[in-house]
Amino acid sequence: MSDFSRKRVLIIDDAALIRTYYRSALETRGFVVEEALNGLEGLEKVLLQPFDLAIVDINMPRMDGITFLYALRSKELPVSGIPVLVISTEAGVHDAAAARRAGANYYLVKPVKQETLAQYAAVFCGVPR
Amino acid sequence: MAETPPLITEEEFQKLADFLYRRTGMVFTETKRYYVERRIADRIVATSSQSFAGYFAYLRSEVRDEVEHLINAFTVNETYFYREDHQLACLTTDLLKERVAAKEPGDTIRIWSVPCSTGEEPYSIAIWLLENWREVDAYDIEIVGSDIDTRVLEAAAEGMFGKRALMRLSPELIGRYFHGLDDERWRILDDLRQSVRFSRVNLIETKDTRPQGRFDVIFCRNVLIYFDDESRRIAAENLYDNLLPGGFICLGHTESMSRISPLFEVCRYSGAIVYRRPRELRA
Repeated sequence: MSDFSRKRVLIIDDAALIRTYYRSALETRGFVVEEALNGLEGLEKVLLQPFDLAIVDINMPRMDGITFLYALRSKELPVSGIPVLVISTEAGVHDAAAARRAGANYYLVKPVKQETLAQYAAVFCGVPR
Repeated sequence: MAETPPLITEEEFQKLADFLYRRTGMVFTETKRYYVERRIADRIVATSSQSFAGYFAYLRSEVRDEVEHLINAFTVNETYFYREDHQLACLTTDLLKERVAAKEPGDTIRIWSVPCSTGEEPYSIAIWLLENWREVDAYDIEIVGSDIDTRVLEAAAEGMFGKRALMRLSPELIGRYFHGLDDERWRILDDLRQSVRFSRVNLIETKDTRPQGRFDVIFCRNVLIYFDDESRRIAAENLYDNLLPGGFICLGHTESMSRISPLFEVCRYSGAIVYRRPRELRA
């Protein structure tokens, strides 16, 4: 198994069970995981700590994923450059397009297997598999 | 040698049994006298009452939540994670597959564990879904745990468990979903605690059951056996109202809904017998 031990991933999702699911997928492979319950909390976290990747849901209370993306990309580097993987139940072409316009690096439609999530995380964190 | 006089006379026992029945629907006959006496003796000491008569008067005066304390003392709360896991397997292989057929990703799936005791069952459902259901992140899953006993609900929300409760879980699962506090106690991850909502419900009180809303799947194991026919019927009707049309209810393996109420359809799956609220009213 590759060593992801220094790679830090922020999961932004309002559903506790889903956060647990993604966290367990990543932690068992050595990633360090932090969590936020919505976009607003996510922004706060990225301003305070460095992250190699943010995994972001779209539909969330207080601040949704799209608004988070626009806000993130308007910050200074290096914060604005954090890769963002959007994972949503919205499966329409226009949903993915809206996320890409807002600055998402990639868009996955739920359900996402734990192995798949870990593979994408490794790619975005620049870790050779 | 003189025998120790019983703590409670036959007449007193009957008065107490009537009282418990009216308040909880649970039936205690003379065959359960030892069980009842032990708990009453504890409550007499705890309330500094001088005798059963004194205690019963105190109980009926409805002061200081004594009714609640007594009900708490009479509910059986010992359980463990992954108990009756064939039903959990049935949940992921059959029941949820049927339930999501008519749903869209992102829709809500509601699961009710009642009675939930100290949380082992609703948390087991959450862990089982994380481990065994490929679509766990595609739906908004709401798990509710309810019990008549407020003391166990507080413990459930705390999410601390001992060795015995975890005996059926592998070390990998324990490592993944719990923090070890010491050699004897583990605490479930905060995210898992937040994924289950707890509420106090007496199954024979419609005013308690109705606000819980309607569910896709209800686990109601080993509680109806404590009720008499009348309370069992009321509880079954309440549970029926708490199911979405086409929703499922799982009982304990020794229980049969067919004996209690004709409202449900029996469904046989490879792993378990479960009952379903019919999708549409029969003509």
